[in-house]
Amino acid sequence: MSEFGLKPGRVSLRSAGPITFGPAGILFLADNAAATVFAVDVADPGAAGGVGPFDLEDVDARVGSFLGCEPGDITIKDMAVHPRSHNVYLSVLRGHGEAAQPVLVRISVADGAIADVPLDEVPFAAVAIGDAPAEDDERLDTTLPLGDEGEEIQFATIKIRLVRQPIRTATVTDMAYAGGALLVAGLSNEEFSSKLRRIPFPFSAAMTGSSLEIFHVSHGKWETAAPIRAFVPYDDGASVLASYTCTPVVHFRLADLTDGAKAVGRTVAELGPVNQPLDMVSFVQDGEEYLLVANSAHGLVKIACRDIDSQSPLTEPRQPVGVPRETKDLQGIRRLANLGGSYVLALQADDAGRQHLRSLKSASL
Amino acid sequence: MTEATWSRSGGGDCIRLAGLPARADVRVFPGTVVAAGSLPPMAGQLERDGADLCFVPRFAFLDGTSYTVTVEGTPAAVLVRPRPERPAATEVTGIHPTAAEVPVNLLRFYVWFSAPMSEGYAAGHVRLARDDGSIIAGALLPAEHELWDASRRRLTVLLDPARIKRGLPGHQEAGYPLRPGEPFRLVVEDGFRDAQGLPLRVPAERRYEVGGEERRHVDPATWELAVPPAGTCEPLHVTFGRPLDHGLLARCLQVRGSGSKLVDGTTQTGPGEQSWQLVPSRAWAAAVHQLIVEPVLEDLAGNSVSRVFDRDLTRLEDQPRPAQPVTVVFRPG
Repeated sequence: MSEFGLKPGRVSLRSAGPITFGPAGILFLADNAAATVFAVDVADPGAAGGVGPFDLEDVDARVGSFLGCEPGDITIKDMAVHPRSHNVYLSVLRGHGEAAQPVLVRISVADGAIADVPLDEVPFAAVAIGDAPAEDDERLDTTLPLGDEGEEIQFATIKIRLVRQPIRTATVTDMAYAGGALLVAGLSNEEFSSKLRRIPFPFSAAMTGSSLEIFHVSHGKWETAAPIRAFVPYDDGASVLASYTCTPVVHFRLADLTDGAKAVGRTVAELGPVNQPLDMVSFVQDGEEYLLVANSAHGLVKIACRDIDSQSPLTEPRQPVGVPRETKDLQGIRRLANLGGSYVLALQADDAGRQHLRSLKSASL
Repeated sequence: MTEATWSRSGGGDCIRLAGLPARADVRVFPGTVVAAGSLPPMAGQLERDGADLCFVPRFAFLDGTSYTVTVEGTPAAVLVRPRPERPAATEVTGIHPTAAEVPVNLLRFYVWFSAPMSEGYAAGHVRLARDDGSIIAGALLPAEHELWDASRRRLTVLLDPARIKRGLPGHQEAGYPLRPGEPFRLVVEDGFRDAQGLPLRVPAERRYEVGGEERRHVDPATWELAVPPAGTCEPLHVTFGRPLDHGLLARCLQVRGSGSKLVDGTTQTGPGEQSWQLVPSRAWAAAVHQLIVEPVLEDLAGNSVSRVFDRDLTRLEDQPRPAQPVTVVFRPG
């Protein structure tokens, strides 16, 4: 792993965020509380994965039981599938508040066994992310810690301990590895903007990545920027399809994005009102590449990549159509990952809120 | 009969089991109902301590959770981790904007708490309500990713931008979440948990009147400056003409004097986020000063110095302005 600049050490996660695999089975983990992305060699012990499906009922209850808590006390933040073994990795937050503990969990596709991935002494690299905080932003929120964290300050004869933390933060909403770089979409807790960071990998101290601002035009009439909620690279990383917090689906080519320049993506679809895009994945069916979009309200949407390339920008405000798409009547899907090509793995919540892993056959989607 | 008690081992909590053979098949499950074989046991290891066995968990026991111990597959004991009984003390210390009236295309709120908070409660405990108590549904952006500052004391709450942006189906079909002339309240319910798992001491709310659309650039050239006399420490007072964003105001304004030297002092945002002032720590020099405004500074509707939130491509005045700081020059007299 030295060729990727990973060095052994302890990865101290402060929060559980998005995860995605990069080259050579390296897992990228976003830690929003620490404003850091870690690249970790997870040393996956599994044999090469087969072409079969993998399903697991009540994955939240199972992971909760393993971690010693009720299902309601865990939050599955993200899911990724190891590219070689197809083992399933979950970024999990266990507990709430001060008792909360981020955990990386691995589920074996061979037998469904659950294990936590040790992060105490692993090859890793780290990079600071985003706008958190700007170098000239000196605002700090000062609080009295309960433990021994923070710094000791002397006021006259009294010593007190204070924790000072930045007020402005960036929250990673999605990540993907494409073309030798980690793409990171984020949401600021202050200004409303659309920034996609492109961080070359291996990480280097001098280069923390360029920030690309992407606008989109609604129906040829209104131009806005908005935070990217979910995105997926396709066409070998040449193109990106991104969906915004406000539901337009926008295409742009990575080659068109240059540092500091304003880029305008092409709106190719609308996912409809009162809906949030949750995750996107690409898969191949009959030799053609397709994208799946999981939505909070509108089921699972399937889009052919060739239709994206031929779609002209949307012009009719009252026709939320755009690229042809099929809507699968599969509700409650929150996360998607490609499971070895033949299947797409979905993290799905049922009406009772129980969560399951389900394999969707690529040929049948 | 197995005797199971809370105990300590190696600096952490454990479950101590008496009266068991060394090779007993002991497992621990969270909850009081254990469906045999359906769930994995809690991660941990059994350690012999004299005549007892200790279950040392890999992840600490959680307060308020019950744990069932099985021996040879049969439930043998249930232990409950008590939840510390403390009075609720955390409260909301501020809700922004503080302006009495907000534009119909209002974009965000900030809620300040007196202590660090737990994640996962914002979507269920922050609401917009009408005067009759009914909830304005679909107004706030569903917050899968909650937007906190690093100390988890300030929460940023966005209204659904799809309802605000012209041309998007959300706006076209459902319209603005707010309506001009119809007051509403932002309500923070007391079920919102702090970092210790306790509810708020009291719920909190702020009531707003709703005005018309705000779709203009933030334009520092229109601000009114009350310029202080030289040789005094009287404040530089800046009036914006409309409320600006609470979070951004605190970092987007600065004053530089001769030689571009930063003027140190105490800054304060005025009532309703409609003004700002700087009291210098040293007397004003009789020289040209610059009020420097960062281009990302936004108003309550997300319009910034450099761009309007939702640009009408046919309106020349809505064209983006350079993403460079804007300078307003003044000279203490």
